[in-house]
Amino acid sequence: MKYSNEQQINLSEKSSGLSRRKFIKMAGTGLAVLSFPMSSAFAKGSIKANKNSPKIVWLVLRGALDSLHTIVPTFDPQYKKLRPKLSTSFKTPLLPLEKGFALHPSLINLHQWYQEKTMLPIVAVSSGYPKRSHFDGQDFLESGKGEIDQYSGWLARAIDIKHKKALAVSRSTPISLRSSDQVNTWYPSKLKDADDDIYSALSQLYQYDESLKEKLKKGLEVKGLVESEPSKAKKRNGKFIELTKACAKLMIGDEGLDCAMLELGGWDTHNNQSNRLEQKLTELDNGLAALKSGLGEEWANTVVIIGTEFGRTAKENGTGGTDHGTGSALFIAGGAVNGGKVAGHWPGLKEDELFAQRDLMPTSNSFGWIGSVLSQHWQFSEAELKGVFPQMKSYDKKVIKGSVRC
Amino acid sequence: MSDNSMYEKSMSSISYSKAYIAVNRFGYGARGDELVQAKANPKQWIISQLLPIAFNSSLPHSNDIFIEFANYRKAQKQQKNKKQQSKNNQSNSEMSKKVKSDNKMNKKGMVNNSARHILRSMSVDTLNRAIQSSHSVSWRLLDFFSNHFSVSANGRLMVGLSATLEREAIAPNLLGKFEDLLLAVEQHPAMLIYLNNEKSFGPNSRVAKKRKIGLNENLAREIMELHTLGVDGGYSQEDVIELAKGITGWSVKNPIKERGAGFTFRAHGHEPGSRTLLGKEYSEKGITQGQQMLRDLAINPATAKYVCFKLAHHFVSENPPASLLNKMETTWMKTGGNLKQVMVSLFSADEAWSASAQKFKTPREFVISANRAIALKKIKPKVLFNSLVSLGQQPFTAGSPAGFSDDESDWLGASALMARIDWSTMVSGYLKRSNAEKVMTVSLGDSVSQHTYQSVMRAESRQQAMTLLLMSPEFQRR
Repeated sequence: MKYSNEQQINLSEKSSGLSRRKFIKMAGTGLAVLSFPMSSAFAKGSIKANKNSPKIVWLVLRGALDSLHTIVPTFDPQYKKLRPKLSTSFKTPLLPLEKGFALHPSLINLHQWYQEKTMLPIVAVSSGYPKRSHFDGQDFLESGKGEIDQYSGWLARAIDIKHKKALAVSRSTPISLRSSDQVNTWYPSKLKDADDDIYSALSQLYQYDESLKEKLKKGLEVKGLVESEPSKAKKRNGKFIELTKACAKLMIGDEGLDCAMLELGGWDTHNNQSNRLEQKLTELDNGLAALKSGLGEEWANTVVIIGTEFGRTAKENGTGGTDHGTGSALFIAGGAVNGGKVAGHWPGLKEDELFAQRDLMPTSNSFGWIGSVLSQHWQFSEAELKGVFPQMKSYDKKVIKGSVRC
Repeated sequence: MSDNSMYEKSMSSISYSKAYIAVNRFGYGARGDELVQAKANPKQWIISQLLPIAFNSSLPHSNDIFIEFANYRKAQKQQKNKKQQSKNNQSNSEMSKKVKSDNKMNKKGMVNNSARHILRSMSVDTLNRAIQSSHSVSWRLLDFFSNHFSVSANGRLMVGLSATLEREAIAPNLLGKFEDLLLAVEQHPAMLIYLNNEKSFGPNSRVAKKRKIGLNENLAREIMELHTLGVDGGYSQEDVIELAKGITGWSVKNPIKERGAGFTFRAHGHEPGSRTLLGKEYSEKGITQGQQMLRDLAINPATAKYVCFKLAHHFVSENPPASLLNKMETTWMKTGGNLKQVMVSLFSADEAWSASAQKFKTPREFVISANRAIALKKIKPKVLFNSLVSLGQQPFTAGSPAGFSDDESDWLGASALMARIDWSTMVSGYLKRSNAEKVMTVSLGDSVSQHTYQSVMRAESRQQAMTLLLMSPEFQRR
C-alpha cells in the first residue's frame, strides 16, 4: 500500500531536473536529451528497477518486412517459382536454420543467437489485421485490441498492470505505449532526422517537379561528398545503431527501465528489394548487436520482440520488389529466450495455400506469442493478459528459458 | 501525346483552386476550415481578412529597452572609471581586480541575455500570432513591411530594439496610408539607430559649430533606395544629401541626460535653410521640413511603382503581369498610397489568381504554414525560433537594410532543401496522432496532384506520410 501511495505522490511532482541531467550524462557524448519529462518517481528511484529484473524491448519494423526474404523457406518448391529473381539475388550463402529454413545472410548476429538458442524466429504470423494499409496495420499491431485504438497500446497496458516503466526512443509516444503515465520519450537531438528512406520516397515524389528533383539530387551528392569515410560506414549502419546504443545505456542506468520501445522504418520494398533489404537487415542486425553489448549482463534477462504490421506478396513483382501482403514473421530474441528452433506452422506457398491467392497465410497470431512472453517473462496471469490483449490468449509454448509453461 | 505522357500529365498536374490561392498564396496557409470558408467567394474572403493585428502587450516597449540599456552603459562607465582609479591607487591588488572584472562580466552577460531574450520573445510572439491568426493575410502583410523596412540585430542595442519596429511603427499603420507608415518607421528609434541618423547633424547647425559632428547620409539614402523610390527611382546624390539635411536632428532621447526615451527632434542639430528635393523646394522649418519630404516621397509615382512591384512580387509571382501592376499603381496614386486599397486592388485582379504555382515559400512562410496545417496545441518557443534558425531565416538577421530575399533562387538551394527535409521529418516525429490525409485536406483541399496524393497515402508510416506532405510541391509552392 505504501508503495502505491509513494508512487502517486511522486508522480504529481513531474519533471525533475535531476533526472534530466542524469539522462544527459548517461546518454553519452553527442546525444542530448530532447524531451524527457521524467516523473520524480523515476528520479528518486522509489520504484527502483532491480538489477536482474526481466526486461522487454519492443521493436516495430515500419513498412512491412518481407518475411520470405528474411526467413527463407528454401525447402518449399514453390518459393523459387514465385520468386525467380529474388531467390537468386543473395550475394553470400544463406544462414541455415532448422527444417530447411534459412536466415538472410545479413543477419549474422541473429543467426549466432539462434545457434546459441537465444533467438526464436516465428513464421507465418499476423496481428489479425485483415487489410493492407501501413498506417492502419501499424496502429492495429500497436493497439493490440483486435481493433484500432489510437489512445491505448498493448505495451502501455502491460506495464501498467505490472507497475513497470518504459522508454520510447522516439520524439512522441507511439501508440504501443499510449495510455500509461509511466512512459517517457527520448530521442537524440544531435542526429539529423531524415534518412535514406525519406530521401528515396522524396525522389519519387519529386519526379514531376524538375527543380525540386534536381536540388534533392544535388543535396544528396553534396551529403555524400562531405561525409568522411568513417561516417559513410556509419551511414551503412544507419542511425538505428545509435538509438539501440543509447537505449541500452538508458535501460541499465541508475534510472533503471524494464521496458523500451524502438522503431525502424524502411521496409516498404516495392522495388529494388534485394539491395534495400541487404542494407536494412544489416542495419537491424548491427543495431541489435549493439543493444546486446550495451545491456551487458542484463542481456541475460532481456527479451526483444520484433514485429511488423503485415507481410508482403508471396510472388515478386515486376520491379524487383514485393507488394503489400498479409502473413509475416515475428522474432523473439535475447538472453532469456528459449530459442534455437523455428516456431510457427508453415502453411505452404501453393496458390490454394496462400491468403487470397497472393499472400503468405497467417497460421498464428502475433499477440498470442507476445502473450506467451508476457506470461512467462513478466508472470502475467491469464486474467491479467486479458487486460492487455482482450481478444487473444497466450500460446502454450515455452518461449522463455526456465519458465514454467502455463 | 503518347499514353504514357498523358498518364504522367494527369498524375502530376495541379490546378490550384481559387480557395487554395486565397488561403495559401495570399495568406499563411489554411488553418482549420479556412479552405471551406474561402470557397464560396474567395476574393471577398481574402479582402475581408485585411484586419488590424495585435501583439502580446506585456512585452516591453522600445523606450523601456532603451532606458535599461542606457542605465547599463552608465553603470559600465562608472565601473570602468572605478577600475581606472583602483588601478592607480592599488595596482598590486590582483584580488580586487579579479573581483571587479568578474562583476563586469556578469553585468555584461545579463544585459546581453535580457536583450536576446526580448528579441526571441517578440519574434516568437509574432510567429505564434501568425500561426494562430484567423486573418493571416494581415500577418503576411506585416512580415512584408517588416522586411521592406528591415532592421538587423547587430550590436547589443539593436538586439534589444530590432523586434520593436514592426510592433510599434509598422503594425499600427499596416492598413492605412503609406506616408503614415513611412513617417512612423523613419522616426522610430530602431530605424534611426540602425541607419545612424540619431547622430546626424547639419554642418551649419548650432551644435555642429560647437562640436566636431556632421551629416550622415545613411538613412536618407536607404529611404530613397529601399523604402520609397527604389534604386532606379530617378534621384541623384544631391537628392540624398538634401534629404539627409532635411532629416537632420531626427534623433533619440538619451534617458540619462533627458527625461524619458524615444524619438526627439533636436532643433539645434537641424540644418538651417530651405532644401530642394527632386526639384521641389522645401522651405518648412524644423521637423516639418523632413516630414513633408517623406510625405511627398510616399506618393511619388516611382514609389508607387517600386512598392507595388515588391508587393506583387511577394504575394503573387516572381514576374507579376504589367496589367496587375498598373491596377495597383493606379490605386496607389488615386488613394494617396492607401495600403488597404492597394491590397484590395491586388486581390481583385484576375491576374493574381493564376492556377499554377507561382512562388516557393520562404522558410518563414513554410514554418508558419506547416504549423497552421498541423495545428499543434502548444509549440515550444525555443523549437519555433530554432526552426527559423536551422532553415536559414532567423528573425532580424537579414544583415542588410534590403532585408531577406524574396526570390525562389535564394531559398531553393540543395542544402536549404535538405534542411527542410530534416525539419519536416523532425516535426512529423513530434506529432502524436498524426493524420497526413486530414492535414492534406485541411491545407490543400483538392489542389493536390494524383501523384502527391498517392505518395502520401502509400507512405510506409504515418511519420513518413506527414513528411512527404510537408515537403510536397503543393505545400512548398503557392
